[in-house]
Amino acid sequence: MFLTRSEYDRGVNTFSPEGRLFQVEYAIEAIKLGSTTIGISTKEGVVLAVEKRVQSPLLEASSIEKIMEIDRHLGCAMSGLIADARTMIDHARVTSQNHAFTYDERIKVESVTQAVCDLALRFGESVHDEDAMMSRPFGVALLIAGVDEKGPQLFHTDPSGTFVRYEAKAVGSGSEAAQSELQDKWHKQMTLKEAHILTLRVLKQVMEEKLDQHNVQLAQVTPDKGFEILDEVRLKALIDDM
Amino acid sequence: MAATSAYNSPGFDFSNTYRNQFLADRGVPLPKATSTGTTIVGCLFKDGIVLGADTRATEGPIVADKNCEKIHFISDNIRCCGAGTAADTEFTTALISSNIEMHALTTGRKPRVVTAMTMLKQMLFRYQGNIGAALVLGGVDITGPQLFTIHPHGSTDKLPYVTMGSGSLAAMAIFESQWKPDMEREEALHLVTLAISAGIFNDLGSGSNVDACVITASGTEMLRNFVKPNERVEKERRYVFRRGTTAIKEEKVRRWVVDEEEVTPVGGEEMDTS
Amino acid sequence: MPDGSFSHPQQRQFNPYTENGGTILAIAGKDFSVIAGDTRQSEGYSIQTRYAPKVFRLTDRAVLAVNGFAADGNMFVKKVQQRLEWYRHAHAKDMPLGAIARLIQTMLYGRRFFPYYVYNILGGIEEDGTGAVYSFDPVGSYEREACRAAGAAQSLVQPFLDNQIYFKNQQAPAGQSHPLHLPLSDVLAIVIDSFTSATERHIEVGDGLEIYVVLTKGRPTQDLEGYRGVKELTTRPDGDRVFLIQRELKKD
Repeated sequence: MFLTRSEYDRGVNTFSPEGRLFQVEYAIEAIKLGSTTIGISTKEGVVLAVEKRVQSPLLEASSIEKIMEIDRHLGCAMSGLIADARTMIDHARVTSQNHAFTYDERIKVESVTQAVCDLALRFGESVHDEDAMMSRPFGVALLIAGVDEKGPQLFHTDPSGTFVRYEAKAVGSGSEAAQSELQDKWHKQMTLKEAHILTLRVLKQVMEEKLDQHNVQLAQVTPDKGFEILDEVRLKALIDDM
Repeated sequence: MAATSAYNSPGFDFSNTYRNQFLADRGVPLPKATSTGTTIVGCLFKDGIVLGADTRATEGPIVADKNCEKIHFISDNIRCCGAGTAADTEFTTALISSNIEMHALTTGRKPRVVTAMTMLKQMLFRYQGNIGAALVLGGVDITGPQLFTIHPHGSTDKLPYVTMGSGSLAAMAIFESQWKPDMEREEALHLVTLAISAGIFNDLGSGSNVDACVITASGTEMLRNFVKPNERVEKERRYVFRRGTTAIKEEKVRRWVVDEEEVTPVGGEEMDTS
Repeated sequence: MPDGSFSHPQQRQFNPYTENGGTILAIAGKDFSVIAGDTRQSEGYSIQTRYAPKVFRLTDRAVLAVNGFAADGNMFVKKVQQRLEWYRHAHAKDMPLGAIARLIQTMLYGRRFFPYYVYNILGGIEEDGTGAVYSFDPVGSYEREACRAAGAAQSLVQPFLDNQIYFKNQQAPAGQSHPLHLPLSDVLAIVIDSFTSATERHIEVGDGLEIYVVLTKGRPTQDLEGYRGVKELTTRPDGDRVFLIQRELKKD
């Protein structure tokens, strides 16, 4: 299978005769190697959860950062090449601040997602007179959670620059099993607490290690309090309730 | 140079020319002669003269008087329209009016328009344009109908139709396109009304009503507010304030007579009433 | 110099700005906003045109009045309209009034050192359905107010509005207080009287009057129907509504 692609998977901006951009497809493959990341949207707010792979007992688990704040009303969880996500989140933060500065209002979740996706396709060779572009596609998928005038929302972005809104979405290595579990368990009347428990249960099912407050990270975006990462005390309490 | 000499040469004094040029180079230009907004006109017709004026007086962009009189009395048979600085036109015409009356008494003859014109131009020239009066002088005397313009620096023109003030171009456009010799009184009056109206509607410095004055050998007819094309519309609301609207911050009653004392003069001389 | 030499340093300068006269004003009510301007455009003692609009509908809930240098004003309105269109495309909604106000600030301040020589007044309906007026200086300082006049006759009209809208220098009857908001019919009467009076005493004001009325969603319209020559300019149903009243002013 890889042999047939060999002619067309070098240049990042060369279509194959079948009309495919292999580098982008490979980038999407890279995400499947990432740790499992889950997002659930409810009427009360959006929950984000990630698995932290603590590969060594010497590793300081709290230094792994896979959920980040974009703005007071926006959060983001990632799976794939975490370093790539930093560029995207930087862009999202600047976009959000710029919007607040220019319009004196909070940017919509969809708008900030669109802005991030606009960045995703700026790879390839730069034309003369233009700033140097990125050499390859991003190798990361984002779950962007937020609350705006349309209520709590969850968006998924991938390296092709495509974004889709989900009620619940899983990405990363355990995403297939996790997604089907979410499909079974998610319902419209779900409370925020139920969503917390559901993300933890799904993560527990797909994680190799035993789930505890050190190897998962949980965050939420609510209309009242905005974005917040749950500290280990709250996380432990939730795990005990599970 | 004249300045260093005790001797004063006769004629013009140009000693300030170099100073003024120096100041102008340093960005201090000479004061500009300004003609504040007005439209005044004069027009010759078969039997005499028709003078016209608008009635707006301005202070910068603000209307100071909506219905002022710009056709001034010089004598029974002579009138003078004034444009420019209101005080200058009023004072100058009043002064010349007095002098013309004196002249008429001295000579025992009816005053001539050229006499008034000469007096005005000599006075304005003497003041080197510092008296900001731009005038239209018209009247009928022993020599027939006469019409002049007098500029603030003292130059004069004698023409069959004249305009002055910021609305002079608008008014002159009417005269240039419609004036003709030997018009009847009504025709000339109508033309003057059109010329003043052109100023009223197209020049921001002119406005409100049309004043006109018809002077013929048989007499002078002052047509104050001949046309009133700009009456104020009725207000939408009545602005009457309830008694007590103005707050009383403090009330104080003060006796101006601080101390009153009745004094009866003792002795002294009686007034002599005999 | 008199000898015709040019050995001395010479200075030339071009003044890119002109003052084109006219006056604008806006008054906010509880559930409406009124934005008005005369239509005369002048330069010095000459009238350039008797009909040059200074008030523009931006959206169904926002109206912008611009006064000062007409060329800058027209260009500024175009640029604001362009930004509103871009916003519509990017965010799939009309820009809210408060956001337009902030946008205008950033656009004006962007030209801090070569300003648009324009005084802006923005009127309309806020997100919460209340009437609002925002006023700006040429470099973007802005404030939400209940009423504002700007332009040639600002010094004539603003004190009148302060007295009639804010009840300045008016003591309320004992035990009573002044109303916070006036009804639409009173506001329209005050606007018309402001302009007819400014026309009387300011040479740059006159010719025509355009009054925009923005009503909050669902508000009854019967107090507007009595006015002759009312036109509705609303583009979308079931939202805030915009109306235009056109009147003549004296032309001298």
